[in-house]
Amino acid sequence: MGNKLTSRFRDIGQYGIFLAFVIICLILAFSTPKFFTVSNLMNIGTQVSINALLAFGVTFVIITGGIDLSLGSMVAVTGVLAASFAHPDTYPLIVPVFIGLAGGLAIGAFNGLVITKSKVPPFIVTLGTMTIGRGLALILSNGRPISNLSDSFNFIGGGNILGIPFPIIILVLAFLICSAILNKTILGRYMYAVGGNEPAARASGIRVNHVKMWVYTICGLLSAVGGILLTSRITTGQPNAGAGFELDAIAAAIIGGTSTSGGTGTMTGTLIGALLIGVISNSLDLLNVTSYYQQVVMGAIIIGAVVLDSMGKEKS
Amino acid sequence: MTETILQIKNLTKSFSGIKALDDVQLTIKKGEVHALMGENGAGKSTFMKILIGLLSPDSGEIVFEGNTIKNSTVNEISKRGISMIHQEILIIPELTVAQNIFLGREKEILGNKSGWLNDKNITIKAAEFLSELGVDIDPNIKMKYLSVAQMQMVEIAKAVSNDATVIIMDEPTSAISDREVSALFKIIRDLKSKGVAIIYISHKMDEIFEICDTITVLRDGKYIATKSASELDKNSLIAMMVGREINNMFPEPVLEKGEIILSVKNLNKKGKFSAISFDVSAGEILGISGLMGAGRTEIAEAIYGLSPADNGTIHINGEEIKIKSPQDAVANGIGYVSEDRKRLGFIPQLSVKQNLTLASLTEHCRGIFIDNQKENVAADQMIADLKIKASGRNQKVTHLSGGNQQKVVIGKVLAASPKIIILDEPTRGIDVGAKFEIYKLINSLAAKGIAIIMISSELPEVLGMSDRIMVLSKGIQTAILSRKEATQELIMKYAVQ
Amino acid sequence: MKLNSICSFVLIASVFVGCNQSKNSESETKDGTRKLVIGSTMLSMQNEFVVNVSDEMEAKAKELGVELITVDAERSALKQVEQVESFIAQGVDAIVMNPCEVEASSPAVKLALDAKIPIINVNSETTAKPTSFVGSDDVESARIAMNYIVKKLGGKGNVIMMHGYMGQAAQIKRDKGAKEILKANPGLKLLAEQSGEWDRAKAMSLTENWVQSYGTKINAVFAQNDEMGLGVVKALEAAGLKNKIIVVSIDAIPDALQAVKKGTLDATVYQNAKQQGSKAIENAVKAAKGEAFEKEVLIPFQLVTKENLSEFLK
Repeated sequence: MGNKLTSRFRDIGQYGIFLAFVIICLILAFSTPKFFTVSNLMNIGTQVSINALLAFGVTFVIITGGIDLSLGSMVAVTGVLAASFAHPDTYPLIVPVFIGLAGGLAIGAFNGLVITKSKVPPFIVTLGTMTIGRGLALILSNGRPISNLSDSFNFIGGGNILGIPFPIIILVLAFLICSAILNKTILGRYMYAVGGNEPAARASGIRVNHVKMWVYTICGLLSAVGGILLTSRITTGQPNAGAGFELDAIAAAIIGGTSTSGGTGTMTGTLIGALLIGVISNSLDLLNVTSYYQQVVMGAIIIGAVVLDSMGKEKS
Repeated sequence: MTETILQIKNLTKSFSGIKALDDVQLTIKKGEVHALMGENGAGKSTFMKILIGLLSPDSGEIVFEGNTIKNSTVNEISKRGISMIHQEILIIPELTVAQNIFLGREKEILGNKSGWLNDKNITIKAAEFLSELGVDIDPNIKMKYLSVAQMQMVEIAKAVSNDATVIIMDEPTSAISDREVSALFKIIRDLKSKGVAIIYISHKMDEIFEICDTITVLRDGKYIATKSASELDKNSLIAMMVGREINNMFPEPVLEKGEIILSVKNLNKKGKFSAISFDVSAGEILGISGLMGAGRTEIAEAIYGLSPADNGTIHINGEEIKIKSPQDAVANGIGYVSEDRKRLGFIPQLSVKQNLTLASLTEHCRGIFIDNQKENVAADQMIADLKIKASGRNQKVTHLSGGNQQKVVIGKVLAASPKIIILDEPTRGIDVGAKFEIYKLINSLAAKGIAIIMISSELPEVLGMSDRIMVLSKGIQTAILSRKEATQELIMKYAVQ
Repeated sequence: MKLNSICSFVLIASVFVGCNQSKNSESETKDGTRKLVIGSTMLSMQNEFVVNVSDEMEAKAKELGVELITVDAERSALKQVEQVESFIAQGVDAIVMNPCEVEASSPAVKLALDAKIPIINVNSETTAKPTSFVGSDDVESARIAMNYIVKKLGGKGNVIMMHGYMGQAAQIKRDKGAKEILKANPGLKLLAEQSGEWDRAKAMSLTENWVQSYGTKINAVFAQNDEMGLGVVKALEAAGLKNKIIVVSIDAIPDALQAVKKGTLDATVYQNAKQQGSKAIENAVKAAKGEAFEKEVLIPFQLVTKENLSEFLK
């Protein structure tokens, strides 16, 4: 019975990280009574949502053996774009949301197009897009935050349905959709194939470039969802928002067992990775640990979690 | 009576409950060449991994030069004098020959404690070892410019420089030419005369009988027997390995041929091949023979669209088609099993099932979603049809033996129901028993009316399997021989033309 | 990060090329006298307050008929020093620097003085003494904000402080000012302090977490800038605690003024970007022409509450 259970976890490939997550949660639950309350858990869910969305996107990309550094900039561009059309009594809610998503889609597709057509490594291409995106966000906003947004727009990041914050609902939906894409569709299977062995995937008749186009476009779209969520949450379109978000997202994916060499990774793992980061930063605040120490603790836990994870994998 | 240098007793190792090695023993004497034989999956590589310290055994004893070795790391064991020349050669391509030979041991070998490198010193030392082996390689040349055979020589020099008294060679001749093989054998004989013991792993019977003194056979993780090479012949050795006699390697060919399916006319690719024209009929097996570099694989890759030809035409069922990518080839019913299984064959991270359905996934889905039920059924069917030995459809392909990996790759191509299959070295690195199964499989495909092109370097294989044989020499087709007229001598004559 | 700075360098270089071209065409005024050129390097053009200072400098330069080349140091002191080096190489008449860091930006001041080019520090200080300093005393701004809290709470209660980026001049000084007032009022207890990194989203998450820890025990929050202050307000509103907790921050950016108007932010402290910008250019021009100028211009802070809001709303 126990054996069966562990082998199941091993199949998921995140036995170690799951264990680390549970242990850390238990430690926190014992060290501060404030941690394990419904309101604090909702709180964590909301705070995690944006990073998790980006991490889902970048998980797809990393599974195909690529990388996307432009996430943070895409958050800023799409946020500013959406905010520009979200002033009260101008357009219906669908307009800013649609424009924001379209912006993310376009930048993502641009990444995909350049990567597949030029054969320049994704690291370089998205590094370029990262800088371009940041510049675009500043141009679109004249370097100033865009505020005075409509109540309906602000509901996206600040509202709740039946007591559940709306960002958490978006997070859950995105997780279900992304998991389905990865596990249940042809596209998902092809992502693993391309990342696992690109020449073999090509020789199997898979349109490798199509797969890559899709992956970067989906990543852009998810960044846009994150951008809209962030803009709505802080009720302003900030051109400098999202700086460094790409690193948190990549960290979540890697903590969750996605291999940077491609071919392996799961959405569940990434979700746990994002939750782990969120839980740690939440609890360090609860415990009033100074921010100097917070950074050290965070780094140490990230390394520790990954070490634990790789030890678990070696055993199997 | 020569002295025993290495003795292994009662070695047992299990992986998640399954015994990979069960009470295995091996005794190696000084200065002997000892063949370790067995089909893939017999436990040879697990055995060697334990011996060089990559894995630790569950139980058993290893006695080397009178001392029991226990819980030693790869480094410690290589320092004691056991070295392994791996099948996939492990080198740093950007470093020179000399730098590779002494990699990781710069301090000890050169007696240099400071940490500063003296490349000149390294080069002189390397030259000494290389000339001692009678190998003519410039120690200053970068490793990436060497041929596979030369790299192997460097690996051997590395082992010798390490004062190895036991050298394990895993399939040392799998990627080198006949001339290079004789050079290798000269070195092995030389090492032998100096008292070095060689554990020789190979599937090539002729080599075993030419170079080895003693043969130990493993089957299904169990020790079968150790015999002197002079006591055995090919058939009795095969019988020991597979546990039964194989009288005729090649199954009866299919006699009924159908209409011409594939017709290639005047195919050219600059610097690779020119004026290639041939037909293949339904149910026919066309063998392609030639020396390395004759353009065999290049023709296959051109027809499959991996690197399309410059000009020429390809007709399928009388209709001209354009093939610019593998997708075009697959859409037109062409399947390709590459000679480079690891690079072009399978996706290591995916399971047996996922690899089998990779080229035909669109047939197992509803809309964009994969139909799990359908996919499982298809995979199980293929596993049964091809007799793939795996713990289940969800096992990772990397954990299978070479023969079974090859079956998965063939299965993947078959699943897309091709009319034409190109098999490039279908039995490379596969053991005898599995070879026979692959041959049977190929014949059964031909019987179903599939046109087959089989590229092979093994002449007996080409002669035994093909209905017709196209011989290539330096990118030009020099002959198409019928099954009746073809002989080894005739093929060689055209191949060197 | 390295590539990032290379990319920005290329951008900056192209800005320079553009400026040089305009210099060739415009540097001769109609009456034939040479137009003065001032180089300015700003902490970060992604910061609204800095952008406001920069805009005012631009306007003042236009008014005085001098040419202004503005570059963005992107919070990197190293880059800032390099930018000043290239200003010197271009032979500008004066330099205005909005320093990234107290220590690390100091070499830029020395370089300029060695090259006999007047350098004016605007908004924040460096250890090396520049030709002239135009700015406000950040310590004072925190005193003003904290005193407001003291007054509102009647000298008794629990306070939380949200810091900017730890180690930056503004954070250090605002911390100093706030702690002075806390010390003078033992009735006030500092419940917790933490960095919100000047960022609204971070401040929001931090406040949400504080609400979990301390809930209604919190009586007032002092955020070291408005961006964070607005994040605090947002989080407290969501928790339904805003009307019970006083929030004060610094800078008086437009968003913050709107919040004061709505009554969600209790007070902010106005730092006069306009005056800082125009004064800096004035001093730079005077110094370049060899006229007399003030060595130090301190622009006073003002507390902004609902009562005096109209003075600050444009």
